[in-house]
Amino acid sequence: MSLPSKATTSLLRHAGRQQLPALRSSAALVQKRNRADSPFDASTSHAEFTSPFHRGTRNEQDTTVIPNWGKYRSSSSETGNKLFQYFMVGSFGGLTALGAKNTVQDFLVNMSASADVLAQAKVEVDLSQIPEGKNVIIKWRGKPVFVRHRTADEIKEAEDEDWKKLRDPQPDEDRVKKPEWLVMLGVCTHLGCVPIGEAGDYGGWFCPCHGSHYDISGRVRKGPAPLNLEIPEYDFPEDGLMVIG
Amino acid sequence: MLARSSLRSSRAFAAAKSPAVRTATRNASSQSSQSAAASWKNTALLSSTTLLAAGSVSWYYYQFGRPTQAMTLAEEGLHPPKFPWEHTKLTRTFDHQALRRGFHVYREVCAACHSISRIPYRKFVGSLMTVDEAKAMAEEQEYDTDPNDEGEIEKRPGKLSDYMLPPYQNDEAARAANNGALPPDLSLIVKARHGGCDYVFALLTGYPEEPPAGAVVQSGLNFNPYFPGTGIGMPKQLFDGLVDYEDGTPATASQMAKDVVEFLNWTAEPEADERKKMGWKVMAITTVLFGLSVWVKRYKWATIKTRKLSYTPPHAPAKQPGSSFRRFQQHGYEQKP
Amino acid sequence: MSGLLNTIYTAFVRRNAVFLTTIFVGAFATEMVFDSGSNLIWDSINRGRQWKDIKHKYMSNGGGGDDEGDDDDDE
Repeated sequence: MSLPSKATTSLLRHAGRQQLPALRSSAALVQKRNRADSPFDASTSHAEFTSPFHRGTRNEQDTTVIPNWGKYRSSSSETGNKLFQYFMVGSFGGLTALGAKNTVQDFLVNMSASADVLAQAKVEVDLSQIPEGKNVIIKWRGKPVFVRHRTADEIKEAEDEDWKKLRDPQPDEDRVKKPEWLVMLGVCTHLGCVPIGEAGDYGGWFCPCHGSHYDISGRVRKGPAPLNLEIPEYDFPEDGLMVIG
Repeated sequence: MLARSSLRSSRAFAAAKSPAVRTATRNASSQSSQSAAASWKNTALLSSTTLLAAGSVSWYYYQFGRPTQAMTLAEEGLHPPKFPWEHTKLTRTFDHQALRRGFHVYREVCAACHSISRIPYRKFVGSLMTVDEAKAMAEEQEYDTDPNDEGEIEKRPGKLSDYMLPPYQNDEAARAANNGALPPDLSLIVKARHGGCDYVFALLTGYPEEPPAGAVVQSGLNFNPYFPGTGIGMPKQLFDGLVDYEDGTPATASQMAKDVVEFLNWTAEPEADERKKMGWKVMAITTVLFGLSVWVKRYKWATIKTRKLSYTPPHAPAKQPGSSFRRFQQHGYEQKP
Repeated sequence: MSGLLNTIYTAFVRRNAVFLTTIFVGAFATEMVFDSGSNLIWDSINRGRQWKDIKHKYMSNGGGGDDEGDDDDDE
């Protein structure tokens, strides 16, 4: 029973109890009029309700009867309805996945190098300035890069070496793009010192910190260093020009 | 008495709640004049309470809520009018031809005193200039190298990754050259000033022929009503025909001001074009997603919301006609004295 | 009509794995179509205003290196 009608009845009951018995009938009259006036009164709104389970005689009600829901049934085919429902749910999921993917992607892109770092990530080297048999050290991303213009003798020496017996076996052709240009990161693979050029027992580089020797292809030959000197990304876009990075 | 109290409570708490209540109060109040008097008092009480509440709120606002003006209008500067900027519309990008012209104006006029030191040359590539143009421009400037083997710092031509050089070495040099006034860096000026584009445009074009009568202009300053305090160190800079645009646009003062403002908006928000496009995309997708989510919600709830529960009490019904529900209720009433 | 619906239903919805695959493939297809479509609309609204509309005026003869640089910065 709803609150307002409860208030009404309690009010009327109190009023009736207080007033003279003669007034009682008038109070009841009011109550009756109330019911007739207001269509929202709980006691009248269910007057027309007939239970869909109501069958048989009044005293014996059959509660196992399934009512007829026929007028609620969709008029289009079952497969069509199912397809439509799956389409709606599926495209909801698909679009959500799309949004999630782009959100995650944006966060991941945030972590990659920013534009100012990328702008400094490439260094151009004018190769015509480097005579044959000379080393040049270039700063690239805060690290030194060795560029060696090798002579024909040095190329032959590097290629003839029996590389399979070395500590970090690697043939010379894997370490250079053009045999006369050797480009390496100038960071000793042992503990990160910068090796000295044209020094050491093998005519290449020598790390003064712990005495690692590298040959003319930058391969470690002696000392504590475990690996050959690292090769950075580089390219020759045109003659006489090299881009590192 | 009880009737009145219950009436008052139903009035105060459930005013106009349902027609049933209203009918009840009407019927009940017609029975006694006391109730009518009470309702008049109620009205008076409610009105005075409302008045008190409204009054105290307005008193509080009067005391503490009003904005206070620390400065006069002249000290705040004249508010700039709204100009119909095309590039600030939500669906429009910058006009990159205008950006090119604006940069031209900046280089020839503004760059003598103002820096845009947050802009690297690479930013011009792909929005204002070709790579070759930007490289050539960068190489005109000299930058310090890293210390060489002897620890000396040399000079090298600029690269695309370098930032624009300021016209002065430092703020002190800038002040010394400009009568004590510091020309601000213009990279973010459109974002940094109240009024944005409108303010900068109004400032650039707002110099009167001579200061109005009664205006006090200190020596070394110039009168501009849009500048807070009206005394600005920068004299009028833009005059008709000051620069020669490469695309042949007539270089009126307002054209130059418009172009340079658009350029300065670009330096402040170089991402604006992409941001607006992304915003539209996101809104389109989200709208479709919202519609779908409403449909899916209705779909999932449809079976639950359209359920019908029917309850038949297990005891034998009385003899009156009508549904069992009603009979049960009436039965309950009549039992009570 | 109902035969066609049945074919679609059995082809894409019947098995859950197939349904999920359809959703994700559809999502990627939607993304590509939506992106290119919205770019098209955006470019037509802003015709003549963007750098790609005016850069041909400033790209003198040697264009190879310029294109490379533009691609880097357009992103």
